[in-house]
Amino acid sequence: MAVVKKRSSLADGFYSLLAIFAAMVVFFPLYWAMSTSLRNPRDTFTVSGVGVPWLDFEPTLKNWIDQLSTAESVNALANSTIISISATALALLLGLPAAYALARFRFKLIPNKDLTVWFLSQRVLPPVATVIPFFLVMNTFGLLDTHVALILINATFILPFVVVIVRQTFLDLPIELEEAAFVDGASFLQAFLRIALPLALPAVVATALIIFAFAWNEFLFAITIADQNARTIPVHMAGAVDTRGVQFWFMAVRSLIAMIPPVVIALLAQRYIVRGLTLGAVKG
Amino acid sequence: MWSRPARFLFLLPAVVWVLVFTVFPLGYSLGISFSKVENRMEVTRERVPLVDDEGNPVLNTRGEPRTRILVERENITEWSFEGFANYGRIFRDRQAISAVRVTTIFVLVAVTVQLVLGMGLAVLFNRKLPARGLLRSVMILPIFATPIAVGYLFFTIFYEEGGPLSFTGIPWLSNPDWALVSVILVDVWQWTPFAFLVFLAALQGVDEDLLDAARLETESEGQVFFHVILPLLQPVIIIVLLLRLAEALKLFDIPFALTGGGPGIATQSFSFLAFRTGLRYFDVGYASAMAYCMLIVVMIIVTMFFNRLRRIY
Amino acid sequence: MSILRTLLLATAMTAVGAAAASAQTVKWRDDGGADLTLDDGTVLSTAAGELGALFGPGEQPFEGAEITVTVNNSGPKGGISGPLYTFRPIWEELSGGTLNIVELPFGEHYTKMMLDLRNGTGQYDAFMVGAFWYGDIAVGNYGFPINDLIDSGEYPQWDLADMPPALQTLHVWGDDIYGTLNDADGQVLYYRKDVLTDPEWNSQFSAEYGYDIPEPPQTWQQVLDISNFFNGKNWDDNDADPDAGTVLHLKVGEQGHYHFQSLSASFVINPGDEVTRYDNVYWFDPTDMTPLINSPGHVAALEFLQELHKTGPAAQVGWSLGEAWDYFLRGKSVFVFSWGDVGSLVQDEDRSNVKGLLGASILPIAEQYWDFETEEWVDAPEGRQVGNTTGGSWHGVISAYSENPEATYSLLALMAIKPVSMWNASYGWTGVDPGYSYQFLEPLGQATVEDYVAAGWNADDVVDYTQAYYDTFYAPTMLTYLRIPGTFEYWDILDKNLSASMAGEFSAQEALDFTAATWEEITERLGRDEQLRLYHEAIGYGG
Repeated sequence: MAVVKKRSSLADGFYSLLAIFAAMVVFFPLYWAMSTSLRNPRDTFTVSGVGVPWLDFEPTLKNWIDQLSTAESVNALANSTIISISATALALLLGLPAAYALARFRFKLIPNKDLTVWFLSQRVLPPVATVIPFFLVMNTFGLLDTHVALILINATFILPFVVVIVRQTFLDLPIELEEAAFVDGASFLQAFLRIALPLALPAVVATALIIFAFAWNEFLFAITIADQNARTIPVHMAGAVDTRGVQFWFMAVRSLIAMIPPVVIALLAQRYIVRGLTLGAVKG
Repeated sequence: MWSRPARFLFLLPAVVWVLVFTVFPLGYSLGISFSKVENRMEVTRERVPLVDDEGNPVLNTRGEPRTRILVERENITEWSFEGFANYGRIFRDRQAISAVRVTTIFVLVAVTVQLVLGMGLAVLFNRKLPARGLLRSVMILPIFATPIAVGYLFFTIFYEEGGPLSFTGIPWLSNPDWALVSVILVDVWQWTPFAFLVFLAALQGVDEDLLDAARLETESEGQVFFHVILPLLQPVIIIVLLLRLAEALKLFDIPFALTGGGPGIATQSFSFLAFRTGLRYFDVGYASAMAYCMLIVVMIIVTMFFNRLRRIY
Repeated sequence: MSILRTLLLATAMTAVGAAAASAQTVKWRDDGGADLTLDDGTVLSTAAGELGALFGPGEQPFEGAEITVTVNNSGPKGGISGPLYTFRPIWEELSGGTLNIVELPFGEHYTKMMLDLRNGTGQYDAFMVGAFWYGDIAVGNYGFPINDLIDSGEYPQWDLADMPPALQTLHVWGDDIYGTLNDADGQVLYYRKDVLTDPEWNSQFSAEYGYDIPEPPQTWQQVLDISNFFNGKNWDDNDADPDAGTVLHLKVGEQGHYHFQSLSASFVINPGDEVTRYDNVYWFDPTDMTPLINSPGHVAALEFLQELHKTGPAAQVGWSLGEAWDYFLRGKSVFVFSWGDVGSLVQDEDRSNVKGLLGASILPIAEQYWDFETEEWVDAPEGRQVGNTTGGSWHGVISAYSENPEATYSLLALMAIKPVSMWNASYGWTGVDPGYSYQFLEPLGQATVEDYVAAGWNADDVVDYTQAYYDTFYAPTMLTYLRIPGTFEYWDILDKNLSASMAGEFSAQEALDFTAATWEEITERLGRDEQLRLYHEAIGYGG
């Protein structure tokens, strides 16, 4: 017995180390960005080892100050925030009622399930198939390089998430509450707004966070449509490459500026990520 | 009650929205893909006197009236039907063939590695571990990290003269084969956590009694895993597989940032090529044809999974 | 929206404690000239009348005008974009207008410009273009010819004749002048003078190769021999690691193909007094647009470049300009052949260990070139020199859609006047490279060594450097510059195939055959007859 126990605790130790190693591998690139962002340009490639601040080099906030004090960075942050929040709000506005409808009402011509899968299938469309016509249409309407164009397209991309995930949440709610409200004379809208929506609120908030992150990260359309006025953080990011090559120090700062909001969201919405990213198919 | 006409008011806005912003552009690009589109601009300019707020002409230093130029433009777009010519080009285009190859290798390798590694990690984290919550939180950090930023970040990591991986001596970005490996590694870094997280959730939902019953039958944990757990997880695995396949096929941001599609065209994905063709060379007909071919592939994959998806939702 | 932006901006400003200082930037002198004060305190004095009749004390001729100019993304202290930022406050004070600078990543700039022009969006007043975009701009009638504005004499004064003829042609199309003077691009050979003239290394070298190290090297073969000799030896004490021979910038999509262009010129171009079917052609056969790019001369040049690549760090296949230049600046390679930026960056001791050790010359030549007519290799004649204007020679071109072409021109002209151009060319970070008569040293030009030394240059470095550029721009044989529509696409294809061959994926012959095949397709698509006509126009072929 004793021998067996010893072996299993040895195994436990091994597996723990393995898990810690995996977490370190995952964390290393983010750590490296932080380390690079704190170095003087001339230290970029001369720092030894894994570049621990203070130990391997004298850290400086110069790169951060340089980047955050340029109007372009501030504008890009503002643009990304405006576009992502607006697109999220729009997608919720359109998607929540549809999610409710697919969870509760019965559609005969096209069954609910097929409608749901149709929404889902929008998500797997290759965006490169729509980028050219979208560009031409936006040009026709004079909407190139505007927030509106990017809000519209991002709302479209993230709408399926809202519909599919929140529908699943509505399905999990007891229908009796709403039916009791109808007996009291409530309309569909009242039942939706006063009963179903508040109960689904945690899932809605988590969904909002997740789709915000997706809108924040969108690059293909942003680089096609935005030049200056609507330049988002990912487009700004691509600008860290100049005609003379990559400025690693700025790149590290910019990539962190870009990544911090969505990464924080990933932590906040942890509980809902599984359901969110599998479009409601797997409950986390 | 639940089938009153009011139900359409809830559903229609979203449906119309998707039709307008997805189906219409897709129809438009289908049209383009069968055409040659020539776009040119006719510009006329007219000099008009510059006036100030009161309507008086503004004079320059020599006392002459200053002028400004009014520009009038007329956009002339000519479409000519080309049949399947654009589609035919794909099969003769060395770049397109290479892009199909690159994308296929990328999708097959990256998705397989993500699923296998994700499952392995999920099994690992399903054990009792010290600080499991913290480690799990670290593991999910990459999921939402901005892909374009991730691409540039790994450019600094794969940098061969002084980057943190330069000690390996591997030509991460300068060798065509390694460059593709590097692109795959970045995607694996970003998306293995997703597979891991979903599988972990599913593992934790597996009924313990069922496993205990299985353990009475066999000594081997491996057998329990392959014969009991894996079949139970099958629906989840298929969902993850489908989502990853569809996402991986879109590959664009990472090569854009990490390699610029190079060296040569060794990491130029199909999306990247279609983007360049349409929005750099302005060969929009051909680019749309490429995009459509890709769309067809995605549709085939979705249809393959359609019945299973219907069962889940 | 704007509130959020203001808040964010205010927060950022407070965070760094930056206070916007508004100093007087333009001071008119009694003699009619003006003193322009730059943000670093430098004062540039203009002569009376140099700023043109339009600008003057108390005059703000373009009050309220808002103009937008695109430029390659390099930031407020980066190449080409930097000077725009530097002269923005000066122009705004002189004109009363507002200047928006739109920085676009190198790979996106052309696209964004063409999308704007083709679709008639007209968001921009001017573009800081590369000369290889002219085919698309001029043929599409998208540019605003500035002949009248120059002739009016009202604007800041600069002269096209200050440029060598080889550069002048890059700023005009037919009789129309589109470009203002700004940047002069061409590749020269930079080398470590101290290393090539070291007697100990020389005796080792001559024992091995049978001849003395020539300074500067005259042929590419000598460059290769020297590179091979020094590669892997620690001949510079910058670090304990071995150093390299020649460093190259070869990253796909980052201007790597220019190395091939300027190196292959002497393998390919047949000398002659005028452009004929066989002489002075490089890109296409001017009789039928058959690509010449896979000719034996081109293939030999690419094979040579592959050999040369082996004498540098393997990672350079993924390097853009900055990484390769820094390698040379850190003292890690004997040679780099690249643009004028290197010479001026060497002077910047924050980045460079090699100030005062710089040698520069016109690019060496191949010992033989491929004769297109007889289809055989011919020994290069005595004293053959082949120059180039490789690169973008980035400069401003006004958009046909600009509603303020005069205001826009006043900015571009301001940046083209002699004191500004001279200042630009003296500092490496501006990315503006010298090539104008007043930048060459007396007696070839009007500058003196002291002018450069005052700007922080090492006196020995500048003599070689300016001479190398003079020779390159005035060489009897020049690499012809491709400016037909679709040049961006022709070059992009070439670039990808070159990159694949440098990475070992294709042989030189394969890479250039593939390029030629794709070029045929592009030509077919764009219309062969039209392309042929424009090609004749662009290279000055009379038939």
